[in-house]
Formats: sequence, structure tokens, C-alpha cells
Amino acid sequence: MLTMQELTKTYRTELVQTHALSNFNLQVEEGDFVAVTGPSGSGKTTFLNIAGLLETFDQGTYNLDGENVRGLSDKARSRLRNEKIGFIFQSFNLIPDLDLFDNVDVPLRYRGFNSAERKRRIERCLELVGLANRMKHLPSQLSGGQQQRVAIARALAGEPRFLLADEPTGNLDSKMAHSVMELLKDINDRGTTIVMVTHDPLLAQQAKRNIYVKDGKVSELPSLTTAAIFTAQAVNAD
Amino acid sequence: MFSYYLRLAYLSIRRNPILSALMVAAIALGIGASMTTITVNYLMSANPIPHKSQQLFYVQVDSWDPNEPAEEPNEPPDQLTWTDATNLMAAQKAPRQAAMASSAAVVEPPDQDAKPFNAGIRLTFSDFFSMFDTPFLYGGPWDAQQDANKEQVVILSRETNDKVFGGENPVGRSLRIAGRQFTVVGVLADWQPVPRFYDVTTGAFHETEELFMPFLLKQALQLPNGGNTSCWKTPEEDSFEGFLRSECVNYQMWVELPDTQTKQDYLTFLTHYVNEQKALGRFPRPLNNRLSDVMQWMENQQVVADDAKVMLWLSLMFLTVCLLNTIGLLLAKFSGKSSEIGLRRAIGASRTALFYQHLVETACIGLAGGIAGLLLALLGLMGISSLYGEFADNLTSLDLNMVVFALLLSLVCSILAGLYPTWRACNIAPASQLKSQ
Amino acid sequence: MQAFSCLEIGPIFRALSRNKVSALLIALQIAVTLCIVVNAVHILLERRAQMARDSGIDEANSFYISSTGFAADFNQQVTIQTDLDAIRALPGVKDAMQINAIPISGGGWSMGLQTQPGTEFDGVGTAVYMVDEHVLQTLDLELIAGQPFQDTDIRWRQGTQRDWPAQTIVTKALAENLFPDAQYQDVVGKTVYINDDEPILIQGIVDKLQAPWVGWNRVENAMLSPEKTLFSTSTYIIRTEPGRLDELMPKVEQLLADSNKGRVVRGMRSMNETRERSYRRDQAMIKVLSTVMITLTLVTALGIVGLASFSVNRRRKQIGTRRALGASQGSILRYFMLENFIISSVGVLLGALLSLGLNVVLVESLGLTRLHWYLLPIGMLALCLVGLLAVLGPAKRAAAISPAMATRTV
Repeated sequence: MLTMQELTKTYRTELVQTHALSNFNLQVEEGDFVAVTGPSGSGKTTFLNIAGLLETFDQGTYNLDGENVRGLSDKARSRLRNEKIGFIFQSFNLIPDLDLFDNVDVPLRYRGFNSAERKRRIERCLELVGLANRMKHLPSQLSGGQQQRVAIARALAGEPRFLLADEPTGNLDSKMAHSVMELLKDINDRGTTIVMVTHDPLLAQQAKRNIYVKDGKVSELPSLTTAAIFTAQAVNAD
Repeated sequence: MFSYYLRLAYLSIRRNPILSALMVAAIALGIGASMTTITVNYLMSANPIPHKSQQLFYVQVDSWDPNEPAEEPNEPPDQLTWTDATNLMAAQKAPRQAAMASSAAVVEPPDQDAKPFNAGIRLTFSDFFSMFDTPFLYGGPWDAQQDANKEQVVILSRETNDKVFGGENPVGRSLRIAGRQFTVVGVLADWQPVPRFYDVTTGAFHETEELFMPFLLKQALQLPNGGNTSCWKTPEEDSFEGFLRSECVNYQMWVELPDTQTKQDYLTFLTHYVNEQKALGRFPRPLNNRLSDVMQWMENQQVVADDAKVMLWLSLMFLTVCLLNTIGLLLAKFSGKSSEIGLRRAIGASRTALFYQHLVETACIGLAGGIAGLLLALLGLMGISSLYGEFADNLTSLDLNMVVFALLLSLVCSILAGLYPTWRACNIAPASQLKSQ
Repeated sequence: MQAFSCLEIGPIFRALSRNKVSALLIALQIAVTLCIVVNAVHILLERRAQMARDSGIDEANSFYISSTGFAADFNQQVTIQTDLDAIRALPGVKDAMQINAIPISGGGWSMGLQTQPGTEFDGVGTAVYMVDEHVLQTLDLELIAGQPFQDTDIRWRQGTQRDWPAQTIVTKALAENLFPDAQYQDVVGKTVYINDDEPILIQGIVDKLQAPWVGWNRVENAMLSPEKTLFSTSTYIIRTEPGRLDELMPKVEQLLADSNKGRVVRGMRSMNETRERSYRRDQAMIKVLSTVMITLTLVTALGIVGLASFSVNRRRKQIGTRRALGASQGSILRYFMLENFIISSVGVLLGALLSLGLNVVLVESLGLTRLHWYLLPIGMLALCLVGLLAVLGPAKRAAAISPAMATRTV
């Protein structure tokens, strides 16, 4: 599904060069649910941006669903994002002016479906996240958990093979976080590949597979003790 | 997709009503101001007879003072002497030709109760009407024979006919003008060329005359001089005839020359004529004959007022300021939407798609500004019209061309103004805006 | 304050350089606005000055009316005498006379006068007024040298007559134009030539009388010719006692219409109206320019308000953080004012150059005069002030942002 080999990404400012990713290797199989954890500045977000084709990389190869994405035009990348990838963000990123229906509609518009097909998909996705009865509400009229559900519905509307989630529960309380997590697992069970970036080891444990990023590289899985320390910290933070 | 963009534009405008209103207002003011002055300039520089303006030529010959030209640098006088006007007419060297003069006389309506009034007269030849395609309501022009016989025939303007004959068909009826009996042969339908190109010597935007009658009646009835009379030499005798024979210019002449050959022939004829006159002791200046077509003549006579040009320049700069303003406001507006743009990019909108989306939004604002600007232009033209009074009567109407032009102008301006902000907005990296602050 | 400003300017410049385009747009707007305003004010002042010129006659209490005879038995000469006697006898009429052209009305007669006879000499252009011995009283002229016309000086001029009376009274301006080296008093008694070689004796000088054409560069040149005219149309100019014009205008019109049915009485107009008509274009230009200037300044000010508001809104959190870190309200206010002042300064400097450029174009293509130097600094100062005023509102709102904003998300 997703293969990254020897990926390197460097940010340059006038004074410093930061290696966000260096010799990054990762393989994600179809149907997998991968949680990516790591400390701040480890390159998690860069990885996610590159995986989601939001950013380009300097060296290495990246195959998405069998297609080498290196050197693709903006238009081709946009199309790939639209068709194969769904995004879920920590801060939901719903468009405040649009109601739920229209928010979920956004990726479908760019896909070019006809209006009947769009309507069918939007209704089905909102049904799936349990918000079918609030289609005409504006995002501001919903709770955070509901907003994230809308965002998930939006991500699913295009029936992507591959879902990228960036701290999907970061802005939610634990109860809502739990229900969102259940929803993601449910989606994964239906066959959608999910890669989730999080700093929360408890959340990560619910995924099928965990990887740990440090200094722009995939490290060995952290020892259980490390995980335990993370857990302890997370508990303390609450 | 277009209707989707329209809906997005609507939502976006609604989200920033003040900013959007400011932009619409700025474009409207700019368009309003420039359309007002563009309309005035457009009408001033309009081609009054587009279908044949290149076949009609104003005739000038240099009969002026040997010591100085009629106007620097070496311009021939802008009118003809009686001698030249009548000689050139008598020669009949053009397919159509009409010399003319302006005059005035008292008209005594047949109705005893109606008060006599002073009326402006255009003295001319029968070709005038066919050359200039004047529309007739009743009757038609007099003929060349009547010109030659100095018959007392008259053509009335529609207004004059309304005033004297209550708008009825007066053809064949008799009317007392300048103390003589005239026979009405025709009534013109509404006819007001803008500019009134056939005689611009006293101002280019006057009304057409109330009466038209054969040119040679000037001599027969000793009708007074209208317009401008300029002399470089005192008439040699104290009489009406003496004045007509003098070197004073007060007459205009147009010829219709359908192709370059006839034009060339006419120029040759003019040269021949002037040389003949030189032999008689007239035309002391070097040969300097001119044939100017309608638009050349309007240019030569500087029909577009300097004030109108100044206003045009200032209003175009005004429009520039309004556009700069719009660019700034659009930049502000679009940069406020950067997170939405980032999201749309992430979800799969290509740059092109976003570019169109924002262009549609700008165009909507531009169109709204254009429509508001048209209303302002109407207001501006009403203002100009009330400020200038009768000087601007024929110069302050918006025609369909101008309406379309105004809308196009506002559309083009707003899209131009929108290009840079849109381009900047679409270049937002999709990843940059998705993290919460 | 001074030290404080110096501390602040650095960061402001750096912030501006990150927002180059917005700042540049405002500066450009200010520049073009200044360019238009300065040139418009210049044109406006020039027109004002032109309109303020005195025609020399008692405009407030004068009017004129024309009569055109058409009846077969119409006797022009008798009619004129009868009319004038009747008008002068009306109570409230100060004086009246026949005249061939009306000052500042737009239509009249001009001739050239030369100090030596002969076709090879150039004449000085002048307006010609054909008047009788009532001229000084009717037109409210002051004879500052020489002798007035006597009734015996006045002749009748036929429609096509070419020769001129043997004497004239000229305006001081014309006298000085004819004899640039002489005192105007000494011009009395000199002979000038009309129609190349016809001598005319200058018998008097009047203080001031404008020609009919207000746009003419020799508008102060006028000569009075002692004659009444027998042209087809005869025009009378009437001067009333102060304040009686409105009452007398219809009376005179009625009088003329009733006294002789063989003519058309027309074209009655007060001098005030004539002035208004003659300067209508200038008046209109002044109003148009004023409107343009005001709206333009408003547009620019609104643009500044819009952009400043936007930049304040975008920086709400940053401003809150600054406040939380100890910035006073005053320093936030000063920050925005100073930022605007820097942009405005760049704008007006650019604008000053543009103004001079546009003026050069206007001078060369449309014959306007050069800009008065003092308009530039005044305009620059005024626009800077407008900029500061415009930014005051948003800056105040910025200053009012609560330091608590720093801890808020979004």
C-alpha cells in the first residue's frame, strides 16, 4: 500500500539546516492500522505531510498504492490526494461557512461526481458517523467530538483506500476520544488502511501496529518500559 | 463546478460583509467616476455619421493674409469666403457638395395669436440632406433647380413644425420668414448629430437649426451673418454685396467623395481653382488646400474639450487608486482564508481549481461593483448635466455600448486586481495551515 | 518618546518588510491620491482666480435685452431712440444704452489696433464696444484720464459700414498694451490705427472693462467706439438702481414688446446669469474636481482602515501576548500609528514625484500652468494626517485588546 525507502527531507533556513527525515524507511500493508508515535520534533508531522502528498521530499522513493509519487505535478498530486487519501486533523479543519452536508461535499466536488452520486455518498458517510440527522447544521453548532466525526465522514466520502489521521483525538476529552477511536477501528475493519500520528501511547496501543519515530528515523519499537513511562506521563497530564 | 464556485463566493462575501462592501464600494466609485468621464469623452469624440464619415470631406483653401497664417502653424482659415463657397459650388466637381452658412430671422406663424420668434437658420444646398442622410418626417429636400433659382422654400425642424403648425404635415403651406413668404417643402425628423459636425465653428455640441433654406437666399434676402466672421482685410465697399465679395470668411463646405480617385480629382480641381484665383490677384499665400474627413476635421477643431480630457485622466487615476485599494483588501481577505485554502488543497483541490474559485469570487465582487458603478455613473452624468446645463445636453446619456463597456471594464479591472491575491492564495502550501496554532 | 520610537522602528520595519505588498499597495494609493489631489487643487485654484476677475461693470444691477425688427415698415433708427428714451425714463433705471456686445457673454466683435499705419505691422487685439455718451454711467466705468464722449460724438453705423469713428476711449490695460513704455495718462491724445491705416484718436482711458470672451488671454483689452448700430438686431444694456433689477426686468421687456409690434423682443438676461453661464464650465470643473478629491481621499482612507483592521485582527493573539508581556496600551497604539506613518511617508514622497510628473504632462499637453510649489508640502502633510486619522480607529481597537487573549486558543 505504502512504501517509503530512504526518504530524506531537509528544511533550510538562512542559518540552520534541519534534517526532518533522514533515511526514513517504512512499509505499510493494505488493511493495516499503523500508529506513529514519537517525541516532539521527531519528524512525525513531516512524515505525515509527505505521506499525504502535502509536501515533497528531497531524496528516496515513495510508492503509494503502487505509484511512484516522486516528481508528480501539482495537479496529479491533488488528484491522488483526492482519490486515494482521506485526512483527519487534530483541529478538525471544517469550513465554518459550510453546513455538514457541504463540508462532506468538498472532496466530492473536486472529484467531479454528479449531484445524485454526491448526495448518496454524503448521506451514507454522515449516517456512518451518526450525524445524518444534522446535515444542515453549521460546524459551530456541534461539539468537538461531533465535529471530528464530520471530519471523518468527509475523509471517508471519497472512499479512499488510505486514511491519514493527525492526532485525531488531540482536542477531545477521553470519552469522545474513545468513540472516535472506535469509529476509526470500525473503518479499518471494513478494509481501509489507516496511518495515525499521535503522541499518546494508550491510543497507539489500540492500533494493529506501532512504529516509533525519533530524529527523523523509524526506530525499533520502544521497550515496554518506555511505553509505560509514556503511559504514566499521559495519566499524569490528565 | 461554476455554480459551486458561485455559491462559495456568496458564502465568502457573506462572511466578510464589511471587507466585501468596501471592495464593491471602491470598484463602484472607480467605475462610476471613470465611466462618467469616459462617456463624456466618448460622446465628444463620437463619430457622428459612422457609415460615411470617411467619404465626407470638409473643404479648406488658404485665402488668408500674406503676412500671417489664419492660425499657427500655417493652418488655412477654417471657413470659406462667399466668393469661394459660391465658385466651388458652381463648379460641381464633387458627386455631392454643400456649402453652408448660419443665419437667423424672425418667423411669423400663420396663427395670428402665436408670437413671432427669432429662429436659427442653416443656409445650404439640396445635397446637404442626401449627404448627411437627414431623416425626413414630412416631404423632402428641395432640388438643385430650386437652389439655383433662389426659391423661397424652407425645411423645418420637427420642433419648429410642432411650434408653428402643431405637428401637422405642413408641406406646401406658406410661412412668413424674414418678412417674405416661404413654402414649406419638408420637416426633418429628430436629427441631432453629436458632435454637430457639419459646423463646429461656434461650438461642437449645439442643437441643429430650426430652419433650413437655400444658401443663395443669403444674398437675395440679405440675411445676417451667423457664426464667426473673420476678416484679414477690410471689405472694399460699404454694402451687403461688398461684404459678400470681401475676403471675410463665414461659410463652410462639405463634399462627398466616395473613393480615393474622386478625392484625388477634387484636390487637383482645388489646386487648379486656387491657381486661377491667384491669377486674378487673390490667394496671396502659398498653396495650402485641405480635405479633411469627418473625424480628421473633429480632431483638427479639437472638439473634445481639454477639461473633459483632464477629467478623463484624473478619473482613470482614480480608478487606479480604487483598484490598488481592491488588491489590498483582497489580499487581506484571501489571507484570512488561508486555512480553508490549505484544507481544500489537502483534500485534493488542485491549484487551478482554487484559482478559479477565487477568480469567480473576485469577478462577483467586480460585477457587483460594476453594476453599482453604473448607477453611480448615471448619477455622475446627471451631475455633469446639471453642472454644465445646455452645454452638455447631448453628452450625458449612457448608451448600450457604454453599459456593456462599463460592466466589462469592472470585470476586467476586478479580475486584474484579483490576479495577484488569488495567485498568492493558491500558493499556500497545503500542509502549512492544518496544524492548530 | 523619541527614544521609544527609535526602539520601535526596527521591528516595525522588519514587520513591514514581511508584508511588503500590502504596505506597498497603501503607499501607492497614497501616492496616486496625492498626485490627483495636488493637481486638482492646482486647477481648482487657477479657475477660482479666473472667476474672481472683475468685469468692470455693475453686474449685480445690470441686464440686457435684444430686439429684432421684422415688419416691413420697421424703422430701426426711430425704434432705438424711442426705446432708449422710454427705458431711461422708467423709475429705478439708472441709465441705459444700446451696445453691440455684452461683456463676458461669449459673443462680440474684435479688431486689431496698431501704433503705426501699414499692413506690415501687427495689431494688438481688442474687443470693440459700440456705445453712446451714456457709457460711463451705464457700465459703471471710471474715466481715469482724458475726455468722455459727448452726444455730438455719436454717429449711426450702418450694417455693412467699414469705417470707424475718429476717436475712442480704451481700457487702461489696452493703453498699456499699445504703449508699453508710456504712462497710461500719456496715452490720451495719441493716435492708433485700425484696419491697418485708419487713424483713431485715443481721447480717454477707463479703469477696467473686460472683453466678451472670458477665456481670451487679452480679456482686459477693450475699446469704446462712439456709435449706435443699425444692425438687424439691437441690444440694450440697462443698469438699475441697486436692488431694483428683478422688478425692472419684466417691466422693460413688457415696455419693448408693447411699444412696437413689428419686432421680436428676446434674449433678456441679467449680468449675474451671464457670468454664471460664461463661467459655468469653470464652476462645473471646480465642483467635479472637489467631488473627485473628496471621494478619492475617502476611498484611500477606507482602504487604510480596511487593511489596518485586518492586520489588527490577524495579530490579535500576538497583540494580546505583547500586552501580557507588559506592553502598555499606548505603545500598541504608537506601534500602529508609527507603522502607518512610515507607509504614508513613503507614499507621499512617491506622490510628490508623481504630482510633478502629471503637472508636466498637463502643462505640455493641455496648456495648464506650473504647480505652485507650496501645494506639495501642504498636500503631503494633509495626506499623512488623513492616514493617521484613518488608522486611529483600528489602532485604538488594537490597544483595547485584552492581555487575556494570549491564553485563548484560536
